[in-house]
Amino acid sequence: MNLEQLKQLKAKAQQQVALREGNKKYRVVVSMGTSGIAAGARDVMKTMLDEIEKRGLDDVEVRVTGEHGLESIEPVMTVEEASGEKTTYAQLDAEKAKQIVTEHLQKGKKVDKLAVGKQKKTE
Amino acid sequence: MLEELSLHILDIAMNSLAAGANRVAIAVVESQRHDFLILRVRDNGRGMDAGTLDRVLSRGITTKKSRRKNIGLGLALLRQSSEMCAGHFHMKSAPGQGTSVTASLRLSHVDRPPLGDLPATLLTLCAANPEVDIRLNYRTDTGRFDFSSQELTPKGKTNT
Repeated sequence: MNLEQLKQLKAKAQQQVALREGNKKYRVVVSMGTSGIAAGARDVMKTMLDEIEKRGLDDVEVRVTGEHGLESIEPVMTVEEASGEKTTYAQLDAEKAKQIVTEHLQKGKKVDKLAVGKQKKTE
Repeated sequence: MLEELSLHILDIAMNSLAAGANRVAIAVVESQRHDFLILRVRDNGRGMDAGTLDRVLSRGITTKKSRRKNIGLGLALLRQSSEMCAGHFHMKSAPGQGTSVTASLRLSHVDRPPLGDLPATLLTLCAANPEVDIRLNYRTDTGRFDFSSQELTPKGKTNT
């Protein structure tokens, strides 16, 4: 760790703030409990943020949550559409996270092979 | 296991958020001269009473369904790392008074985990919790870096 790396933090955080405004089409929730973190959830999160920023996707909101009780398939994230439809992706890594950004969040195509469980609707 | 100290920081800060904090202050002091590394996470969340404090620190709590078990696990792991590296672990909390977790380690200890990607920890916390003030004070023998997520404004928008 050095101070130079930390200085870039400010600029990066600033760019994130810039993407915060505007209407959100997708809400991404990454599980960031102890087991998620141990399984690599932070790297997944970092990749998501980098890719979203690189592509300027200001219609995506990224949040975190605690444990899901899904320890065995961490890292886990859920993509929620404005319609309430939810897709859960599991056993993620940076590469898969990137794929979810380019396919699901950018093109609107679900990445079926990474999704787990059945589609759920809220309400 | 959490292999980087910055992952522990993230883990503890997640506890702070779960405790309803709107301010999480992270301090990292790294001194080559005095051969120590200190990590501290302080929040203004709801805090906990002495009984709960004891409980979260004991190892191997597996009251399933309860989120608390995992909180206990993460802290126990950090305490283990810090004590293994000739350091100390200290936690202070009271209901309504927030919680403060401090861990020190000997910088040159062979078993000391790397600090790791501290910026990634901070960005994760900031991005996911825009309404929470995430602060970092990082100090070394020769310099310092201070950060507060509430200093950021949406004005950087023009370059997107």
